[in-house]
Amino acid sequence: MTFANPWLLLGASAALVPLLVHLFDRRRPRPHPFGAISFVLRSQRRTASRLKLKRLILYCLRTLILLALPVALARPEWRREVGASASARGPAATSIVLDSSLSMRWSDGKSLFLRGREEAREALRDLLPEEPANVVLCGPLVSPPPPPTSDRAQLRAQLDEAEPSYGPSDLVRCMELGARSLEESPLPSKRLVVISDFTQGSLRLEAPPPTVAGPKGERIRPEVVLRDAARGEQALPNRAVVDLKVEPALQVGPRAFQFTFTVRNFSSEPVKDLEASLKVEGQVVAKGFLDISGGGTAQKSLTHRFDSGGLFTGEVSISADALAEDDRRAFVLNAPKELRALVVNGSPSTVRYRDEAFFVEAALTAPGSPLHAAVRDVDSAFREDFSSYQVVLLLNVPAPTKEQSERLGEYVRQGGSLFLSMGDNVAPETYNQRLGAVLPRRLRDVKTSVDPSELDAAARAAKLANFSSEHPVFTPFTGRAREGLMSSRFYRYVLLEAEAVQKGEIGAVLATLEDGAPAVAVAARGRGRVMLFTSTVDRDWGDFAIRTSFLPLMQRFCAFLAGSLDEREEHRPRVGETLSLRLPKEPEVERVASPSGGEVPLSSEPDGPVQVGPIAEPGVHTAFDSSGRPLAAFAAVLDPSESDLTRIRREELTQHFGEDTVRTAGGQGAERKAPFWTWLIVAAAAAFLLEGVLLRR
Amino acid sequence: MQLLNAQTLARLSGVKLRARAVMEGVLSGLHKSPHQGQSVEFSEHKEYAPGDELRHLDWKAFGKFDKFYIKRFEHETNLRAVMLIDASASMGYSSGGLSKLEVAKVLAGTLAYLLVRQQDAAGLAVTHGSSCSDLPPRSAAGHLTTLLETLEGLSPQGTTDLAAAADHLAEKVTRRSLLCVFSDLFDDRPDGLRRLLQLRARKNDLAVFHLVDPSELSFPFDDPTLFLSMEDERRLEVNPREIKQSYLEELGAFLAESRKACAEADVDYELVRTDEPLDSVLLRFLARRQGRRR
Repeated sequence: MTFANPWLLLGASAALVPLLVHLFDRRRPRPHPFGAISFVLRSQRRTASRLKLKRLILYCLRTLILLALPVALARPEWRREVGASASARGPAATSIVLDSSLSMRWSDGKSLFLRGREEAREALRDLLPEEPANVVLCGPLVSPPPPPTSDRAQLRAQLDEAEPSYGPSDLVRCMELGARSLEESPLPSKRLVVISDFTQGSLRLEAPPPTVAGPKGERIRPEVVLRDAARGEQALPNRAVVDLKVEPALQVGPRAFQFTFTVRNFSSEPVKDLEASLKVEGQVVAKGFLDISGGGTAQKSLTHRFDSGGLFTGEVSISADALAEDDRRAFVLNAPKELRALVVNGSPSTVRYRDEAFFVEAALTAPGSPLHAAVRDVDSAFREDFSSYQVVLLLNVPAPTKEQSERLGEYVRQGGSLFLSMGDNVAPETYNQRLGAVLPRRLRDVKTSVDPSELDAAARAAKLANFSSEHPVFTPFTGRAREGLMSSRFYRYVLLEAEAVQKGEIGAVLATLEDGAPAVAVAARGRGRVMLFTSTVDRDWGDFAIRTSFLPLMQRFCAFLAGSLDEREEHRPRVGETLSLRLPKEPEVERVASPSGGEVPLSSEPDGPVQVGPIAEPGVHTAFDSSGRPLAAFAAVLDPSESDLTRIRREELTQHFGEDTVRTAGGQGAERKAPFWTWLIVAAAAAFLLEGVLLRR
Repeated sequence: MQLLNAQTLARLSGVKLRARAVMEGVLSGLHKSPHQGQSVEFSEHKEYAPGDELRHLDWKAFGKFDKFYIKRFEHETNLRAVMLIDASASMGYSSGGLSKLEVAKVLAGTLAYLLVRQQDAAGLAVTHGSSCSDLPPRSAAGHLTTLLETLEGLSPQGTTDLAAAADHLAEKVTRRSLLCVFSDLFDDRPDGLRRLLQLRARKNDLAVFHLVDPSELSFPFDDPTLFLSMEDERRLEVNPREIKQSYLEELGAFLAESRKACAEADVDYELVRTDEPLDSVLLRFLARRQGRRR
């Protein structure tokens, strides 16, 4: 125990006054002859034992009053052994680590961060004048602090400017940085003051406690003082949107999407009728309610159909609680624009299912498809204006004339897209001659893997051996969808050469058959794209057209060729992360704006993606070119681990740091623990009142 | 000190002191005698019936009305009263006004004056510790002077011994008498009052004037005090505030017990505070006795 005003303890000698009065008070009582002395004697005998006890209690109370008051005025303070040894070692260089993670934004009227900042100021005030200090603001990005300084004004200003972040923090790392900075102080004693809410995500208890280099280079543990910004609250209730999936809702319409979000209740109390809403471009477009059990999760799906295609921003949210930042999650969505496709039927038939374009037309015009397909025979097709279509599909079309080929080439170079499928009408050599400028690769021969009329044709037919699952066309084909695609049989197909027909970039092979022959090849030609499917899209050369994977794959072929698959690529970086943004080289990204209007750091390598970040805020970020035109947008999300506000128990902290160093909050407020000396004053006042009562009895 | 102050006597002059019980007496007075026919005071006429004494026949009435009437008389007797004064040392206590003994002397003198004035006999007995002295009851005016002078000469001394006083009175008072006891009853012997009340069983009329000082009733002491006994060597240093409640309970119980003992023995009990007007004390006492007689 230490005393702020130890000289006032001299006043405690007043506690001897009652004893001295008892010993030396020899006042002579007034003699009084009295007739009824018998009754006085009887009364005295009757009350003697009670009076003796009363006098003893009075003596104790008076001694307590005279002892408690001077001791209280001396302001005693309990100090643990650690503190005592530290003070015995003299002044200590101190590093104040202030947690500024997202969880510190939790507020019940006053945020944990504000409380933590008050704690930090108080810790600063408590330092001795000769103790240097520094401040480590512990957020997602933390840099090594400067050496401890005695400039208190600078440290106070640093605290005043500190703001909570939206990301997680690593207190272990911050303590290490603080401890390392203390090594630069010549003072032998070191101290770390850690101010945090001490939630599960803030401190890795499996990591060893921080150490500093001792006088002889050995590693010693500094004094660690933990200040609880949550002021001993056992639980910090919270619920959060921890996940969001946006998927097309084809059953509702071509541009309908289903927003499925997961809400987790991190408190033990169940939540009923929690309001959830979906906002698009600032307007609430759907609402719902959900119940969540204590500590459980719940999913809610809200659907919205967009009237037109384009880029949309919005958010899903639930009713705000004490940590409102994680009660919403933003998204950026590309609603598909309507695509016009010209299907050139190279082998029409009066029997519908024998028609070359039958399966393709069915796939492109299926419900929910953004494609509008126009099927034409060869003669009619080449009379059409190609520029009014985003994609032209040549299905088993005989090699076009030279003039037609030039039109097609010009169409592709100007940004149009071309899809070619093979068939009996395709003559490889003529194709190479007429369309060599646009073909991804030269056509070689037609290969027959097995005659379909043979009995074991199904078993011997060629199958897909591999496809580029990272390519946007094939990304959905995983699991059972992949198996369905891989089991397609190809009886006949066109082999491709290993090089392009003319000078130009060789096309990439996206899928190969079992013998290594390409099944799908793609190449960029000018501003357009060309895709080559080496078999037929009807049942003449295989059964791919009747496979379940045919419909989505044909839609994705067209979407990719039209460029809308690229737009659908979603980026959802977490706060604190850096995003690799793949954008066209022209125009160049000038800046990326955060939701609050600030600029996000940018860096780019030649021929590489643009590095955006580290991202500091959740919400929609927009990339602009030099003219201020938006190029792309993405939504940054919060780290769900910061939403879990389960507190680390005091015992665990004690066990981790080896000693009981946890100090409860020292700031102002009703929850602050009253110091010992106030209890002494209360005891003295109570003794005073009790003495008065006893004297009156 | 003037024992019989004019104001007190003036207020008592209209009051007839009457003994509660019929007592034997030689002289006629205001008190009714159980022996009819021996007095000269005519009471009423009664028509003669066989068996009546012929000597009471009113011949004058026979001459007037030619009928026999018997004359009936109401004989009067003298009252013998003895004033027992407790002159122990505790009776000398005073908290400012008259001491208990002085009040006892005034009350006893006043009563003696009234008795002698109506030709009753008044006597005096004084007890100091175990010794008693007495002045036999007489109705002569000169006797009153003697009695008052004896009262005047009394001073407090010795202990209280009510049992010894009772024994003395039992020996000296041989005829039915009114015994007025003036005492604070502070007798440490447990049977003092009981022995005194036993005189009632000997056909005496008994009245107890219990004299108490106001300070004894309220115990108004604050500072630490050394209480000294007035009758012996006992002493006690005490903080009065600490024992006040207990003292008042003890005294209250004593007063209640005394009143109860008197009531059970059919004895008049009068608690007299020494600071209250004495004429009102006597008026209250006489009025009560008159009421009981009716």
